Amino acid sequence: MIEVSGLTKYYGNKKAVEDLNFTISSGEVVGFLGPNGAGKSTTMNILTGYLSATSGTAKIDGMDILDDPIEAKRHIGYMPEQPPLYLDMTVEEYLNFAAELKGVKSSSKRKHIAEICENVSITHVKGRVIKNLSKGYKQRVGLAMALIGDPDTLILDEPTVGLDPIQIIEIRNVIKELGRQRTVVLSSHILSEVQAICERVLVINNGTIVANDTPEKLSANISGEHKMNVQIAGPQSSVMSVLRSVDGMTSVALRRDNEDGTANFVIESDPNVDIRKPMFFALAKAGYPILSLQPLDMSLEDIFLRLTVEEDTASRGARKKVAK
Amino acid sequence: MIAIMKRDLRSFFTSPIGYVFLAVFLLVSNYFFFGYNVSGGASSLSYVFSSMLLILVFLIPLVTMRLMSEEMKQRTDQMLLTAPVRVIDIVLGKYLAAMMVFVIALACTLIWPLIVTMFGDPAVFDIVGNYVAMFLLIGCLVSVGLFISSLTESQIIAAIFSFVAMLALFMFSSIASAVDNVVVSAVLNWLSVFSRYSSFTAGVFSLADIVYYLSVSVVFLFLTARVIEKKRWA
Repeated sequence: MIEVSGLTKYYGNKKAVEDLNFTISSGEVVGFLGPNGAGKSTTMNILTGYLSATSGTAKIDGMDILDDPIEAKRHIGYMPEQPPLYLDMTVEEYLNFAAELKGVKSSSKRKHIAEICENVSITHVKGRVIKNLSKGYKQRVGLAMALIGDPDTLILDEPTVGLDPIQIIEIRNVIKELGRQRTVVLSSHILSEVQAICERVLVINNGTIVANDTPEKLSANISGEHKMNVQIAGPQSSVMSVLRSVDGMTSVALRRDNEDGTANFVIESDPNVDIRKPMFFALAKAGYPILSLQPLDMSLEDIFLRLTVEEDTASRGARKKVAK
Repeated sequence: MIAIMKRDLRSFFTSPIGYVFLAVFLLVSNYFFFGYNVSGGASSLSYVFSSMLLILVFLIPLVTMRLMSEEMKQRTDQMLLTAPVRVIDIVLGKYLAAMMVFVIALACTLIWPLIVTMFGDPAVFDIVGNYVAMFLLIGCLVSVGLFISSLTESQIIAAIFSFVAMLALFMFSSIASAVDNVVVSAVLNWLSVFSRYSSFTAGVFSLADIVYYLSVSVVFLFLTARVIEKKRWA
């Protein structure tokens, strides 16, 4: 369980995060989503005791990271963005060192390390020097280090950055597996990644939380089912006029004219209306079959734009009210 | 603390630095031993040890330069500082690792007393005094080097500044004797960690000198811990 209240961090005069408030319950898998420089890593570094906050508190399982750092740190496994690896050591030596550092009993150390290596699939590279491992394996060794001492909270800073697609999927699966018994906080600037792993998302921008919701609700609220890409066979102009005639349709735009006599359109509808059924019947009646229909995934940039613009207008509105 | 000491000590000897250090140390010190004791026929080790002081000016930075700098550069300090250990334990672990390197080096020289005793009649206080003084002095200088290493991410800068600091400490006593002003000269003499060395070799175990060496070490270890702590608040 992580409780954060009023967390603020300034680097000199530069604000990194301001007045963060959130709670993460035990067993939850939560993602910090935000562009580079939004304050994700700063927040994680404060949670793990690497940095101190300018003001505000962070508690891990009820223990303040500043007042009771040793006990609080026992409950945290942290993998920073760049895994803190001693490149001249072998994987086994490194994990042994991590175990000694975290005070794992020497009687159970060997078994503990073997289990973790099995969990993150690095058993076969145990004897290799870390310097010679690929980026994906280094990332896993970093993850294994975070798991040493069996902490109940895992904090992972961009765990998949720089990996190839197969490695990304593997690491995600490992994290999902780990999240079954632990609290996991991970950061990312990739929306689909957070969607794939996390139960809840905190969107951070300019050092403040701009959204805190489940990934489904977040993307539904922002993009929703009301903006879609649809491919239809039929003459362009008549298809467009049929589309425009559907009740609840707000805009129709040609996206691409295909050579096979079909065309892709981007349609937008009233958010309160599910346009799909009436559109299907209208087009079927006119004899223009729908070949594909997909909701338009908003890119992270769009979401940020949307969220931050909303935030800006909201605060401007508030200011106006105050002025009045 | 022990885990950190073991890791650091190991890393000295998995990189060439540990061997370069030992080779240079043993080569130069045995050269002096040969010159003064074997071919010169002296039974006192004081000449060898006092000649080695200048070598320390070069060798201490070699050992201490990477202690904290390397951790900061490789970001491995994140592992240490987010682990359930106190900052002072990290500092002590590093300090002990560097001291162990010197203990190993000094242990290799224990053959000297053996040789001198076999062929001559050395004074026991001379031998013990030299080793104790050397150990205390190294402890003191290593803490200064460790402190400087905690100030920068660059090993090279740490090495250069440590070298300058060692050289300054080494030269304080000679500068002091050249200065006319009594106060300045007294301050410089007091600061000169090397000048206290000679009383030990004369067999005088002055409590003031022992306390001086130990307290300088403690002060710099404390300062190192503060520097690391302070980074969190930056």
